[in-house]
Amino acid sequence: MAEKSWLFVIGKIRIYVRKTLAIRYIICYNKKNENIYSVIEMQIEQKMTIQEKLQILTDAAKYDAACTSSGVDRKGKAGSMGNAAACGICHTFASDGRCVSLLKILFTNECVFDCKYCINRASNDVKRAAFTPDEVCTLTMEFYRRNYIEGLFLSSGILKNPNYTMDLLYQTLYKLRTEYHFMGYIHVKAIPGADEELIRRTGFLADRMSVNLELPTGDGLRRLAPHKTRKTILKPMKQIQKGIVNSKNEMTVYQEAPRFVPAGQSTQMIIGATPESDYQIMSVAEALYKNYDLKRVFYSAYVSVNTDAMLPALPDGPPLLREHRLYQADWLLRYYGFEASELLSPDRPNFNVLLDPKCEWAVRHLEYFPVEINRADYQTLLRVPGIGVKSAQRIVRARRSAKLDFEDLKRLGVVLKRAVYFITCMGRMQYRIRLEENSITHNLIHDDRKKLYEMQENESFTQMSLFDDFHLTVPPSVEDGRAAVSGQL
Amino acid sequence: MRIYLCEDSFEGILTAVYDAWAGRLGHDNVRLELQGEYNLELFADYVVVLPDDEKAEKVVRTLRQKLSEEVFEYVYKAAMSQERRKADLIYRFIVLAIQRGARIVSEFGNPVVMDIFELVRNVSNESHLLLGFIRFQELENGVLFAKITPKNYVLTLIAPHFEDRLSGENWVIYDAVHEMAAVHARNTSWVLSREAKMPEKLPESGQEEEYEELWKIFFHTIGIEARKNPKCQRNMLPLWYRKNMLEFENNENC
Ligand code: SF4
Repeated sequence: MAEKSWLFVIGKIRIYVRKTLAIRYIICYNKKNENIYSVIEMQIEQKMTIQEKLQILTDAAKYDAACTSSGVDRKGKAGSMGNAAACGICHTFASDGRCVSLLKILFTNECVFDCKYCINRASNDVKRAAFTPDEVCTLTMEFYRRNYIEGLFLSSGILKNPNYTMDLLYQTLYKLRTEYHFMGYIHVKAIPGADEELIRRTGFLADRMSVNLELPTGDGLRRLAPHKTRKTILKPMKQIQKGIVNSKNEMTVYQEAPRFVPAGQSTQMIIGATPESDYQIMSVAEALYKNYDLKRVFYSAYVSVNTDAMLPALPDGPPLLREHRLYQADWLLRYYGFEASELLSPDRPNFNVLLDPKCEWAVRHLEYFPVEINRADYQTLLRVPGIGVKSAQRIVRARRSAKLDFEDLKRLGVVLKRAVYFITCMGRMQYRIRLEENSITHNLIHDDRKKLYEMQENESFTQMSLFDDFHLTVPPSVEDGRAAVSGQL
Repeated sequence: MRIYLCEDSFEGILTAVYDAWAGRLGHDNVRLELQGEYNLELFADYVVVLPDDEKAEKVVRTLRQKLSEEVFEYVYKAAMSQERRKADLIYRFIVLAIQRGARIVSEFGNPVVMDIFELVRNVSNESHLLLGFIRFQELENGVLFAKITPKNYVLTLIAPHFEDRLSGENWVIYDAVHEMAAVHARNTSWVLSREAKMPEKLPESGQEEEYEELWKIFFHTIGIEARKNPKCQRNMLPLWYRKNMLEFENNENC
C-alpha cells in the first residue's frame, strides 16, 4: 500500500499519522496507552452534490457482475412499497448489453484495502465519495416508485475497517426496511472480516447476500489482494449458508419466522487476472455449489483498470469469450447433471475456443450416441447437443401422445443442426452420418464458428446468463434437489 | 358459410364463440372475425355479435371447470393478441380442447395449437418485458403516470403486478395505442377504463426532473466501456420499446 506512517513523540504523548492517498489518520495516545484524540480524515468532499456522488459510486460499482433480482417471490403488503418476483425483471439494458435490474452502487468507494485489480484500491488516486444511509434510501425509493429498478444492490469499499463498513450497510438496510418500508429486492455484500453478528443481522434484512471469492485460488489472492485471505472470505460464506439452512428449518416450524437471505447467496470470480486454468475455475465453482449451496457463481472477465506489474496487460480487451465458455459450463453443472471432471481434466485444462463445452464433451464420448428420442430418459436427452432443458421437457411430454420424428423435434425447439449427429427417431438417423470424432467436430465447429463470429461481432453475449435469471422456467428438480439436500444438513 | 363479427375484446370474442357453437351449423361452416377490417364475401352471411357478459361467462366456466386453468389462460392471453385472426383461432382451439381435453396444451404437433401458442408467447413476452420497461412520472398531484405503446392488449396482464407492488400509490398506466388506461387509487383495486384519451404531456411534480436526471446519470455510468456492445443491447432491448423510456430520449443509445 502506498502509505506512510509516522510516529511522533511529544513529551509523553505518542502521535501516529497514517497517510494513504485516500485517508489520513491522526491518532494520539497518552502514556497509559489510552487513545486520547483521533481524527480520521478522508478525501471525501462533503459538499458534493447527490448527482456527483451517484456518478462516482455507480462507476465504482459497475465491475461487479451479479445484478440479478431473482430467486424470491414476495407479495406486497399494505403500508409498504414493493414486492419481489422470483423470475427476475430487467428494467433496462446498459451499453454493454447487460441487464439492469438493481440500483447497483457502492456505499463508499473509499477503501483501506489495496486489491491490485480494483479501481477503488487505497493506492489509486481517484475521487472518493460516500453516501449517507438516507441518501441511499431516498434514491432507492424514488427510483423504485418510478419503476426504474427492482431494488438495491449495495456494496462498499472498506471504510476504516470491515466492521465499521458492515455496520454502515446494516444501518442503511435497517432504515430502508423499517423507516422507508421498502419491500423490494435487496442484494448486499457481506464484508470479509466483519463480525458474525453484524452479518447475521444484515442477512435478515436482505434477499441475497454475496461474498466475492475474487480469485479462484488462495495463491491468486495472496498476490493480488494482500488484505484478503481465503479464510476471511470463506468464513462469512459458511456462516450465510448455515443461516439459510437454519432459517428454512425455523420456517417449517413457524411460518412467520423472519427469513434469512431467502434468495440465497452468490459469489463472483475474476477471470484472467491470474493464471488459473478453466479446470481449476470449474472445480472451484463445483465445490462452491456443493459445499456452500451457492445459488450462482458469476464469472467476470477481468477489465484492465489499473496498470500494475502483477497484472496482465490484456491488449485485446477483457477475455469475454473465455467468460462465455465458463458460463456455458456452469450451466452444464447446474442444470444438465455434468461434473467438472467430465468436462475438463488436468491434461485438458482449458475449454476449446471453437466448440462449446457440451459439444466438446459429446464428440469425445461418441460411445453414448446415438440416443433414441422416443425412449431415452430425460437425463440422457439433456446430454445431447442441440437439446436444452426446455426442449428435453417438451420431448418427454410430447412423446406420450405420439411417436416423434425429426420434423416434430424442430417444432419442440431442438436445434437439429447440432443434434442430428447424436440422435435417432424411431431407430433412424436423419442422414447417413459417420459417427466419427473428427468429421463431426469439423461440422460442429463450422456451425459454432458462425455463432462465434456473430458473438465477436457483438451478438448475444449475455443471452445465456440472462436466460438463466429471467423469464426462464428452470426445471424445478435441480434447485429443489439442492434445497432438499441443504434441508437435511 | 356464416361469419360472426365480434368486438375486439375478451367478452366479445367469447360471446361469438358461444353463438357460433350454439348455432349448430357445423364447425366447418362458421368463421369468426373481428369487426373492422374484413373483406366482404359474396356467399357468406354475416352476423354481428354484441358482447354479452352472460354468454362469455358460460364459456369461461366451461374452460376453467371442464378443462383447466391453463387452457383458460391460453385463451385469455390469445384474446389479448394483436393478431387479427385471433377470434377464429380461439374458436378452433376451444373446439379442439373440448374434444381432446386439457392435454391439448401439450399437443405441439397440432397447427391450431401451435398458432395459439405463438399468440400466447407473443403476448406473454411483451407483458413480461413491459413490467420492467414501464416508466412512471410523478405528476403535480403526486399521481404516478406511465404511458405505454404496446402491440398487444397487455394492460390487464400487467396491472395486477403494479397493484401489488405500488399499493400505496395513486397510479395510471395509459395505453396510448388502444386508448385504454389502468387506474389505481391508493389501497384499492385497479380498474380498467376503456376509451380513455389522455394528453401527451401532463404537468410534472417539482422533484420529477431531478430524479429523471439521476436515473440518466446512473444509466449512462453503469455500462462498462471495455465491454461495449450495442448490438447485444439492441437484441435485448429492441428500439421499439425505447420510445417511452427516458434514458433513451433523444435517441441516446448508450
Ligand atoms: S476491498 Fe479490494 S476489491 Fe473491495 S473496494 Fe477495496 S480494493 Fe476494491
